[in-house]
Amino acid sequence: MTTSEAVEVMAKVLAPYIGDTMARSATAAHCQKLGITAGPVSHEQLEALLGKLRGGLNIFLGRDKSASVVAEARRALAPREGAR
Amino acid sequence: MKHGAGSKTLPWVVLVLAVAAYLGWAAAPASALYTRFLTPSRLLALAALLKLVYLLGATGWAFACRDRLEVDNPARPAWFLLSLGLLSTFAGQLSLAPSQVVRAETPFPSMADIFFVLGYPFLIAALLVLLHAYRDAGFPIGSLAERVGIIVGVGVIAIVVATPILRPVASVGGPLLDRVLTVAYPILDLALLLPLALLLRAALRLRGSHAGEVWFLLLGGFVFLCAGDACFAYFQSLGKEHLDPYVHATFLLSYGLIAGGAHRQLELLKS
Repeated sequence: MTTSEAVEVMAKVLAPYIGDTMARSATAAHCQKLGITAGPVSHEQLEALLGKLRGGLNIFLGRDKSASVVAEARRALAPREGAR
Repeated sequence: MKHGAGSKTLPWVVLVLAVAAYLGWAAAPASALYTRFLTPSRLLALAALLKLVYLLGATGWAFACRDRLEVDNPARPAWFLLSLGLLSTFAGQLSLAPSQVVRAETPFPSMADIFFVLGYPFLIAALLVLLHAYRDAGFPIGSLAERVGIIVGVGVIAIVVATPILRPVASVGGPLLDRVLTVAYPILDLALLLPLALLLRAALRLRGSHAGEVWFLLLGGFVFLCAGDACFAYFQSLGKEHLDPYVHATFLLSYGLIAGGAHRQLELLKS
Protein backbone atom coordinates (compact mmCIF):
# COMPACT_ATOMS: atom_id res chain seq x y z
CA MET A 1 0.00 0.00 0.00
CA THR A 2 1.21 3.51 -0.80
CA THR A 3 1.15 6.50 1.55
CA SER A 4 -1.52 8.25 -0.51
CA GLU A 5 -3.76 5.15 -0.40
CA ALA A 6 -3.31 4.93 3.39
CA VAL A 7 -4.09 8.63 3.81
CA GLU A 8 -7.22 8.17 1.68
CA VAL A 9 -8.46 5.25 3.81
CA MET A 10 -7.70 7.01 7.11
CA ALA A 11 -9.31 10.26 5.99
CA LYS A 12 -12.48 8.38 5.07
CA VAL A 13 -12.70 6.84 8.55
CA LEU A 14 -11.80 10.04 10.43
CA ALA A 15 -13.91 12.46 8.37
CA PRO A 16 -17.21 12.01 10.27
CA TYR A 17 -15.44 12.89 13.51
CA ILE A 18 -13.04 15.70 12.55
CA GLY A 19 -14.02 16.55 8.97
CA ASP A 20 -12.41 15.57 5.68
CA THR A 21 -10.15 18.64 5.51
CA MET A 22 -8.79 18.25 9.04
CA ALA A 23 -8.43 14.47 8.62
CA ARG A 24 -6.33 14.89 5.48
CA SER A 25 -4.23 17.78 6.76
CA ALA A 26 -3.58 16.15 10.16
CA THR A 27 -2.66 12.82 8.52
CA ALA A 28 -0.35 14.57 6.04
CA ALA A 29 1.27 16.60 8.85
CA HIS A 30 1.92 13.47 10.92
CA CYS A 31 3.32 11.66 7.85
CA GLN A 32 5.75 14.51 7.39
CA LYS A 33 6.80 14.47 11.07
CA LEU A 34 7.26 10.69 11.01
CA GLY A 35 9.31 10.85 7.81
CA ILE A 36 6.72 8.85 5.84
CA THR A 37 7.23 9.84 2.24
CA ALA A 38 5.29 9.05 -0.94
CA GLY A 39 5.54 5.46 -2.08
CA PRO A 40 5.09 2.19 -0.20
CA VAL A 41 4.36 2.45 3.52
CA SER A 42 5.32 -0.25 6.05
CA HIS A 43 3.12 -1.78 8.75
CA GLU A 44 5.30 -0.14 11.43
CA GLN A 45 4.90 3.26 9.79
CA LEU A 46 1.14 2.80 9.64
CA GLU A 47 1.03 1.88 13.32
CA ALA A 48 3.11 4.94 14.22
CA LEU A 49 0.79 7.11 12.16
CA LEU A 50 -2.32 5.64 13.78
CA GLY A 51 -0.77 6.22 17.20
CA LYS A 52 -0.23 9.91 16.41
CA LEU A 53 -3.76 10.28 15.05
CA ARG A 54 -5.17 8.62 18.14
CA GLY A 55 -3.39 11.16 20.35
CA GLY A 56 -4.97 13.98 18.36
CA LEU A 57 -8.44 12.46 18.35
CA ASN A 58 -8.27 12.21 22.17
CA ILE A 59 -8.83 15.96 22.37
CA PHE A 60 -12.16 15.76 20.59
CA LEU A 61 -13.40 12.29 21.42
CA GLY A 62 -11.73 11.12 24.63
CA ARG A 63 -9.52 8.06 24.92
CA ASP A 64 -12.09 5.27 24.52
CA LYS A 65 -13.83 6.67 21.48
CA SER A 66 -10.47 7.55 19.88
CA ALA A 67 -9.32 3.99 20.38
CA SER A 68 -12.45 2.65 18.68
CA VAL A 69 -12.05 5.05 15.72
CA VAL A 70 -8.40 4.06 15.32
CA ALA A 71 -9.42 0.40 15.48
CA GLU A 72 -11.94 1.13 12.72
CA ALA A 73 -9.16 2.71 10.64
CA ARG A 74 -6.93 -0.30 11.28
CA ARG A 75 -9.69 -2.63 10.08
CA ALA A 76 -10.19 -0.52 6.96
CA LEU A 77 -6.46 -0.61 6.22
CA ALA A 78 -6.02 -4.35 6.83
CA PRO A 79 -7.34 -5.69 3.47
CA ARG A 80 -5.16 -3.25 1.55
CA GLU A 81 -2.10 -4.15 3.64
CA GLY A 82 -2.73 -7.81 2.91
CA ALA A 83 -3.00 -7.06 -0.80
CA ARG A 84 0.58 -5.72 -0.96
CA MET B 1 -28.07 7.79 26.34
CA LYS B 2 -30.74 8.06 23.65
CA HIS B 3 -32.83 11.16 23.16
CA GLY B 4 -35.85 11.61 20.95
CA ALA B 5 -35.66 14.04 18.05
CA GLY B 6 -38.19 16.24 19.84
CA SER B 7 -36.12 16.61 23.01
CA LYS B 8 -33.12 17.53 20.87
CA THR B 9 -34.87 20.16 18.81
CA LEU B 10 -37.02 21.71 21.55
CA PRO B 11 -34.21 23.80 23.14
CA TRP B 12 -33.30 25.16 19.69
CA VAL B 13 -36.93 25.99 18.94
CA VAL B 14 -37.16 27.83 22.29
CA LEU B 15 -33.95 29.74 21.50
CA VAL B 16 -35.11 30.71 18.00
CA LEU B 17 -38.54 31.81 19.29
CA ALA B 18 -36.95 33.83 22.11
CA VAL B 19 -34.52 35.58 19.77
CA ALA B 20 -37.36 36.22 17.31
CA ALA B 21 -39.43 37.74 20.15
CA TYR B 22 -36.62 40.17 21.08
CA LEU B 23 -35.95 41.10 17.46
CA GLY B 24 -39.68 41.64 17.03
CA TRP B 25 -39.60 43.93 20.06
CA ALA B 26 -36.82 45.92 18.41
CA ALA B 27 -38.73 46.13 15.13
CA ALA B 28 -42.21 46.96 16.46
CA PRO B 29 -42.05 48.09 20.10
CA ALA B 30 -45.37 49.95 19.83
CA SER B 31 -47.34 46.96 18.52
CA ALA B 32 -50.10 45.45 20.65
CA LEU B 33 -48.03 42.31 21.19
CA TYR B 34 -45.33 44.31 22.94
CA THR B 35 -47.52 46.83 24.76
CA ARG B 36 -50.16 44.38 26.07
CA PHE B 37 -48.64 40.92 26.31
CA LEU B 38 -44.87 40.86 25.98
CA THR B 39 -44.32 44.07 27.92
CA PRO B 40 -40.74 45.27 28.54
CA SER B 41 -40.86 44.11 32.17
CA ARG B 42 -42.04 40.62 31.15
CA LEU B 43 -39.42 40.43 28.41
CA LEU B 44 -36.71 41.45 30.88
CA ALA B 45 -37.82 38.76 33.33
CA LEU B 46 -38.05 36.15 30.57
CA ALA B 47 -34.56 37.02 29.31
CA ALA B 48 -33.18 36.76 32.87
CA LEU B 49 -34.67 33.30 33.36
CA LEU B 50 -33.65 31.98 29.94
CA LYS B 51 -30.09 33.25 30.40
CA LEU B 52 -29.90 31.47 33.76
CA VAL B 53 -31.16 28.21 32.26
CA TYR B 54 -28.69 28.33 29.34
CA LEU B 55 -25.76 29.33 31.57
CA LEU B 56 -26.54 26.63 34.11
CA GLY B 57 -26.78 24.02 31.35
CA ALA B 58 -23.57 25.26 29.71
CA THR B 59 -21.69 25.22 33.04
CA GLY B 60 -22.89 21.75 33.96
CA TRP B 61 -22.21 20.23 30.53
CA ALA B 62 -18.77 21.86 30.25
CA PHE B 63 -17.87 20.46 33.67
CA ALA B 64 -19.25 17.04 32.68
CA CYS B 65 -16.99 17.14 29.58
CA ARG B 66 -14.02 17.85 31.84
CA ASP B 67 -15.09 14.98 34.06
CA ARG B 68 -15.45 12.62 31.12
CA LEU B 69 -11.96 13.30 29.73
CA GLU B 70 -8.95 11.45 31.13
CA VAL B 71 -6.67 13.17 33.66
CA ASP B 72 -3.84 13.50 31.12
CA ASN B 73 -6.09 14.66 28.25
CA PRO B 74 -4.84 18.11 27.16
CA ALA B 75 -8.42 19.28 26.51
CA ARG B 76 -9.53 18.55 30.09
CA PRO B 77 -8.12 21.77 31.65
CA ALA B 78 -9.74 23.76 28.84
CA TRP B 79 -13.20 22.37 29.63
CA PHE B 80 -12.59 23.01 33.33
CA LEU B 81 -11.60 26.63 32.67
CA LEU B 82 -14.61 27.02 30.38
CA SER B 83 -16.92 25.68 33.10
CA LEU B 84 -15.40 28.12 35.63
CA GLY B 85 -15.85 31.05 33.25
CA LEU B 86 -19.46 30.05 32.61
CA LEU B 87 -20.08 29.49 36.33
CA SER B 88 -18.83 33.00 37.06
CA THR B 89 -21.10 34.40 34.33
CA PHE B 90 -24.00 32.39 35.77
CA ALA B 91 -23.27 33.83 39.25
CA GLY B 92 -23.35 37.32 37.74
CA GLN B 93 -26.65 36.66 36.00
CA LEU B 94 -28.06 35.07 39.17
CA SER B 95 -27.25 38.15 41.23
CA LEU B 96 -28.98 40.34 38.62
CA ALA B 97 -32.06 38.15 38.31
CA PRO B 98 -33.99 39.32 41.42
CA SER B 99 -33.84 42.96 40.28
CA GLN B 100 -34.73 42.05 36.71
CA VAL B 101 -37.58 39.70 37.58
CA VAL B 102 -39.11 41.54 40.56
CA ARG B 103 -38.35 45.21 39.90
CA ALA B 104 -37.88 45.07 36.11
CA GLU B 105 -34.57 46.90 36.28
CA THR B 106 -30.93 46.09 35.64
CA PRO B 107 -28.67 47.81 38.18
CA PHE B 108 -25.30 48.95 36.84
CA PRO B 109 -22.69 48.69 38.18
CA SER B 110 -23.52 45.94 40.63
CA MET B 111 -22.16 42.81 42.25
CA ALA B 112 -22.97 41.03 38.98
CA ASP B 113 -20.22 42.92 37.16
CA ILE B 114 -17.57 41.43 39.47
CA PHE B 115 -18.66 37.95 38.39
CA PHE B 116 -19.02 38.89 34.71
CA VAL B 117 -15.52 40.43 34.61
CA LEU B 118 -14.05 37.51 36.59
CA GLY B 119 -15.42 35.09 34.00
CA TYR B 120 -13.36 36.51 31.14
CA PRO B 121 -9.86 35.38 32.25
CA PHE B 122 -11.20 31.83 32.56
CA LEU B 123 -12.85 31.95 29.12
CA ILE B 124 -9.74 33.44 27.49
CA ALA B 125 -7.51 30.88 29.26
CA ALA B 126 -9.81 28.05 28.10
CA LEU B 127 -9.41 29.09 24.45
CA LEU B 128 -5.61 29.45 24.84
CA VAL B 129 -5.31 25.99 26.44
CA LEU B 130 -7.35 24.51 23.58
CA LEU B 131 -5.13 26.17 20.99
CA HIS B 132 -2.09 24.76 22.77
CA ALA B 133 -3.69 21.29 22.88
CA TYR B 134 -4.51 21.41 19.15
CA ARG B 135 -0.96 22.35 18.28
CA ASP B 136 0.58 19.69 20.53
CA ALA B 137 -1.72 17.04 19.08
CA GLY B 138 -0.40 17.83 15.61
CA PHE B 139 -3.48 19.56 14.25
CA PRO B 140 -2.58 22.34 11.85
CA ILE B 141 -3.27 25.75 13.41
CA GLY B 142 -1.24 27.65 10.83
CA SER B 143 2.38 28.72 10.60
CA LEU B 144 3.74 31.32 13.01
CA ALA B 145 3.48 33.95 10.27
CA GLU B 146 -0.15 33.01 9.58
CA ARG B 147 -1.02 33.17 13.27
CA VAL B 148 0.69 36.52 13.73
CA GLY B 149 -1.11 37.75 10.60
CA ILE B 150 -4.51 36.65 11.96
CA ILE B 151 -3.86 38.21 15.38
CA VAL B 152 -2.65 41.50 13.89
CA GLY B 153 -5.52 41.53 11.37
CA VAL B 154 -8.21 40.85 13.96
CA GLY B 155 -6.59 43.31 16.38
CA VAL B 156 -6.51 46.09 13.78
CA ILE B 157 -10.09 45.43 12.62
CA ALA B 158 -11.32 45.26 16.23
CA ILE B 159 -9.58 48.53 17.12
CA VAL B 160 -10.90 50.24 13.97
CA VAL B 161 -14.43 49.01 14.73
CA ALA B 162 -14.25 49.45 18.51
CA THR B 163 -12.71 52.93 18.66
CA PRO B 164 -15.71 54.80 17.24
CA ILE B 165 -17.96 52.67 19.44
CA LEU B 166 -15.96 53.18 22.63
CA ARG B 167 -15.06 56.86 22.18
CA PRO B 168 -18.56 58.22 22.89
CA VAL B 169 -19.04 55.61 25.61
CA ALA B 170 -15.79 56.61 27.37
CA SER B 171 -16.30 60.35 26.98
CA VAL B 172 -19.83 60.44 28.37
CA GLY B 173 -20.22 61.73 31.92
CA GLY B 174 -21.11 59.64 34.93
CA PRO B 175 -19.33 57.82 37.74
CA LEU B 176 -15.83 56.56 36.93
CA LEU B 177 -16.68 52.95 37.81
CA ASP B 178 -19.58 52.96 35.32
CA ARG B 179 -17.35 54.21 32.54
CA VAL B 180 -14.46 51.87 33.39
CA LEU B 181 -16.76 48.85 33.40
CA THR B 182 -18.55 49.84 30.21
CA VAL B 183 -15.25 50.14 28.37
CA ALA B 184 -13.73 47.10 30.13
CA TYR B 185 -16.24 44.66 28.62
CA PRO B 186 -15.42 45.41 24.96
CA ILE B 187 -11.68 45.41 25.79
CA LEU B 188 -12.00 41.99 27.43
CA ASP B 189 -13.94 40.89 24.36
CA LEU B 190 -11.03 42.03 22.20
CA ALA B 191 -8.71 39.82 24.29
CA LEU B 192 -11.20 36.97 23.79
CA LEU B 193 -11.42 37.58 20.04
CA LEU B 194 -7.71 36.96 19.41
CA PRO B 195 -7.53 33.28 20.43
CA LEU B 196 -11.08 32.94 19.09
CA ALA B 197 -9.95 33.96 15.60
CA LEU B 198 -7.16 31.37 15.66
CA LEU B 199 -9.56 28.67 16.83
CA LEU B 200 -12.12 29.65 14.19
CA ARG B 201 -9.47 29.12 11.53
CA ALA B 202 -8.82 25.62 12.90
CA ALA B 203 -12.55 24.96 13.29
CA LEU B 204 -13.14 25.70 9.59
CA ARG B 205 -11.18 22.55 8.82
CA LEU B 206 -13.55 20.58 11.07
CA ARG B 207 -16.65 21.53 9.09
CA GLY B 208 -19.07 18.75 8.31
CA SER B 209 -17.99 16.68 11.32
CA HIS B 210 -19.14 15.99 14.89
CA ALA B 211 -16.23 18.01 16.33
CA GLY B 212 -16.94 20.79 13.84
CA GLU B 213 -20.53 21.04 15.07
CA VAL B 214 -19.30 21.42 18.66
CA TRP B 215 -16.80 24.12 17.76
CA PHE B 216 -19.05 26.14 15.46
CA LEU B 217 -21.64 26.28 18.25
CA LEU B 218 -19.12 27.23 20.93
CA LEU B 219 -17.20 29.76 18.87
CA GLY B 220 -20.44 31.23 17.50
CA GLY B 221 -21.53 31.70 21.10
CA PHE B 222 -18.36 33.63 21.89
CA VAL B 223 -18.79 35.83 18.83
CA PHE B 224 -22.33 36.76 20.00
CA LEU B 225 -20.95 37.39 23.51
CA CYS B 226 -18.62 40.04 22.03
CA ALA B 227 -21.51 41.51 20.01
CA GLY B 228 -23.71 41.58 23.12
CA ASP B 229 -21.10 43.48 25.11
CA ALA B 230 -20.73 46.06 22.33
CA CYS B 231 -24.55 46.57 22.29
CA PHE B 232 -24.56 46.78 26.08
CA ALA B 233 -21.82 49.44 26.11
CA TYR B 234 -23.92 51.68 23.85
CA PHE B 235 -27.19 50.91 25.59
CA GLN B 236 -25.83 51.48 29.09
CA SER B 237 -23.68 54.56 28.54
CA LEU B 238 -25.60 56.46 25.93
CA GLY B 239 -29.08 55.54 27.05
CA LYS B 240 -29.91 54.10 23.63
CA GLU B 241 -32.88 52.09 24.83
CA HIS B 242 -33.77 50.86 21.37
CA LEU B 243 -30.67 48.62 21.67
CA ASP B 244 -32.05 46.78 24.72
CA PRO B 245 -33.77 44.04 22.68
CA TYR B 246 -30.52 43.44 20.77
CA VAL B 247 -28.61 43.14 24.08
CA HIS B 248 -30.98 40.37 25.18
CA ALA B 249 -31.08 38.67 21.76
CA THR B 250 -27.28 38.54 21.42
CA PHE B 251 -26.69 37.31 24.98
CA LEU B 252 -29.41 34.68 24.64
CA LEU B 253 -27.88 33.49 21.38
CA SER B 254 -24.44 33.49 22.98
CA TYR B 255 -25.41 31.46 26.03
CA GLY B 256 -27.70 29.18 24.03
CA LEU B 257 -25.03 28.36 21.44
CA ILE B 258 -22.36 27.77 24.11
CA ALA B 259 -24.75 25.50 26.01
CA GLY B 260 -25.55 23.65 22.76
CA GLY B 261 -21.86 23.21 21.96
CA ALA B 262 -21.03 21.89 25.43
CA HIS B 263 -24.00 19.51 25.29
CA ARG B 264 -23.00 18.26 21.83
CA GLN B 265 -19.42 17.68 23.06
CA LEU B 266 -20.72 15.68 26.01
CA GLU B 267 -22.85 13.55 23.68
CA LEU B 268 -19.78 12.95 21.54
CA LEU B 269 -17.75 11.85 24.55
CA LYS B 270 -20.56 9.54 25.67
CA SER B 271 -21.11 8.00 22.22
